[in-house]
Amino acid sequence: MEKDQLLHKWLNNEASAEEVEQLKADPVYASYLKIAEASSGFGIPEMNEEANFDVISEKIMPIRQSEKSNIFSIVWKVAAVFALLLIGYYYTTTLDTSITTEIAQTESFTLPDNSEVILNAGSTITYNKKDWTKKRELSLDGEAFFKVTKGNKFSVNTSEGVVAVLGTQFNVSARDGIFTVACYEGLVSVAFNDTILKLPAGEKVQVENGRLVSSGAANPSSPAWIQKESSFENAPLQMVVNELERQYHVKVSIKNVEAEKRYTGAFTHKNLELALKSICEPLQLNYEINNNGAVTIDAKHSK
Amino acid sequence: MKQPQNVCNETIFNRIYETHGKPVWRFIYYKCGNGAQADDLVQEAFIKLWQNCAKVTQEKAKSFLYTVCNNAFLNEVAHKKVVLKYAKTQPEKTNFQSPEFLMEEDQFHDRLKNSLENLTEAQRTAFLLNRIEGKKYSEIAEMLNISVKAVEKRMSKALATLRNEIGNI
Repeated sequence: MEKDQLLHKWLNNEASAEEVEQLKADPVYASYLKIAEASSGFGIPEMNEEANFDVISEKIMPIRQSEKSNIFSIVWKVAAVFALLLIGYYYTTTLDTSITTEIAQTESFTLPDNSEVILNAGSTITYNKKDWTKKRELSLDGEAFFKVTKGNKFSVNTSEGVVAVLGTQFNVSARDGIFTVACYEGLVSVAFNDTILKLPAGEKVQVENGRLVSSGAANPSSPAWIQKESSFENAPLQMVVNELERQYHVKVSIKNVEAEKRYTGAFTHKNLELALKSICEPLQLNYEINNNGAVTIDAKHSK
Repeated sequence: MKQPQNVCNETIFNRIYETHGKPVWRFIYYKCGNGAQADDLVQEAFIKLWQNCAKVTQEKAKSFLYTVCNNAFLNEVAHKKVVLKYAKTQPEKTNFQSPEFLMEEDQFHDRLKNSLENLTEAQRTAFLLNRIEGKKYSEIAEMLNISVKAVEKRMSKALATLRNEIGNI
């Protein structure tokens, strides 16, 4: 029994030299030692590490990929939602605000600095709400009346020119190459081509295709269209007809009339018949309202 | 925050394969004496380890592998005749022995090889883990999930059987 313990000790590599001698003295244990020592000489094949690993990888790959894609898809989903929110926020806060009026419609609204704008029919104003406190700038296509709160420079960009003010009331019309600015209070600076004009209260200017056409006194307190009237001074007939089309939603065709005919006067926005009379009588023209609502204007003597 | 890391990480899994792959393979080889079967069992064990990676910590990976292999082996054990390979590389000192002695040595090794093949699976595994791998009884006990006392018994029995089969030397 004691020798068995010694044998185990030896097998565990913990026996001392003395103890080994003791074991070797016994023929039975001596043969055990010999057998045990000889057994250590067994060589065994080695596993092919790479080949086995390839097999394992191949079999667990789908599991790995699906787990990965799960984790990633969640991450991506969350990221995508955040990205969308950010883009949406950015988009809505930096997007230009645009206000458009249809034919026969005027729109009155307030800008972020409490400046008032009245937009005439068939016009568009575009401005940026976010940048408004830094830069009071808007672009206008059509006609609008402005009542600007005092502050830093307020500019109206049109395709015909730029109007800049500090605080005032003025009307800007930029249509079909004709640019009209009327100032009702304060001082307005009008820039077109290379010219800069200072327009004091009660004055107005009209610019046709980059050329100053007329300047003179403006209506007392506000443009005529605010009172539901369109007023013209030495304006081409085509321009008058365009305005009529905008205010009444009618199609107007002109026959046998010289294009250079010019009109000074005003027409109302409330009654088409009356308006047509206001335009045609001073110019000695005939008008006719067809069944389908279309209007034809032609010269009186052609009949 | 020190949490025991599980083996779901690819790098950790690969490291476990590098450390334990070969020993586990040899462990099975002692049991069955068949390289191809050992390959299969090792592959199966590592695949299982990956599938259960969330439940197995790094520290437990080793015993997990041995247990899985052991169980798998017992499940499919075909009790085929075990054939071991005997290393040709013997210590050089034998070269200086007399031809007669060398022949005796050869005979002895042949008989030893046969006897080892005839040992029971339990005895052979414990015996070769100790002799070839140089594992201590405590380590063998841990691998086989048995007590040190049981390892002692298996070792004693293995030696006794071998001595009986080979005959007195």
